[in-house]
Amino acid sequence: MIQEVSGVPAAEVTSEKSIVDDLDVDSLSMVEIGIALEDRLGVQIAEDRLREISTINDLVDHIDHSLNGR
Amino acid sequence: MGILSGKHLLVSGVLTKSSIAFHVAGLAQEQGADVTLTAYPRVSLVERLARLLPRPAAVIPLDVTDPESLAGLAERVGRHTGTLDGVLHSIAYAPPAALGGNFPGTGWPDVAATLHASTYSLHGLVTAVLPLLRSPGGSVVGLDFDASVAWPEYDWMGVAKSGLESCARYLAFYLGAQGIRVNLVAAGPLRTMAASNISRDGDGAGDFAALWHRRAPLGWDETNADPVARACVALFSDWFPATTGEIVHVDGGAHAVG
Repeated sequence: MIQEVSGVPAAEVTSEKSIVDDLDVDSLSMVEIGIALEDRLGVQIAEDRLREISTINDLVDHIDHSLNGR
Repeated sequence: MGILSGKHLLVSGVLTKSSIAFHVAGLAQEQGADVTLTAYPRVSLVERLARLLPRPAAVIPLDVTDPESLAGLAERVGRHTGTLDGVLHSIAYAPPAALGGNFPGTGWPDVAATLHASTYSLHGLVTAVLPLLRSPGGSVVGLDFDASVAWPEYDWMGVAKSGLESCARYLAFYLGAQGIRVNLVAAGPLRTMAASNISRDGDGAGDFAALWHRRAPLGWDETNADPVARACVALFSDWFPATTGEIVHVDGGAHAVG
């Protein structure tokens, strides 16, 4: 999904990487990733929360919590 | 049957789900309007947002600071509709150097970028779609933030909004003869992506909201864009037929009290 939105090759998207600094994903791409997650998985990420997500790990944790909290 | 039944609107400024324009587009659809969205800078993002609206909406790329993009707008919109009944201007941009307390030190290139995107764009957008705007009966609505006083950190965006208010009055003056209305909605602070970029700590809406909580006689909820969307939809409807050049404050009444 990150590759689809931002063009970053999937192989570079590893858990410890900073989404903004290492993968060069801008804030609007993050918004689009958030909407794509909602569309595909039904996981909602508030825009305030989106700004707090720094690494791929943070994003995965958020998805995990959302899916398991149902 | 809604109050916008049979109308076709062009809505600019949809960038996130919190965008005021996103709420206006959704409410307009619920009130019966067909909606076309303009997209900048990420068309794919706006296309995803369009799919979250109650009904399908066409998406057209538009950079309001690019004369070529504006020149082709009427033709691109015309592919989806013969005439336009309304246009929403919800566009503002200022480089970081023009916001956040740097007012005395801001140079002309940053000021020019702010005024081009946030003030002159109303003129650009309206004149670009004028051939399609229903005459008489077309309605232009722009989003404003009270520019009658100076606000902390709002800086050159405040100057741009002053210009926007004047630009709307002049457009109302020149388009009145064609029966086209031009009005602004001055919204209280809302938690949008634009608001988060005003202050250096990223909480521009929060700073303004605290002020609104103290002052607004009706109270103010910075997380609820619905009152602003309702005002925009009302101005697009046929229920304000003799109102133009107006600024409707949707701010809980904060502008009216000291």
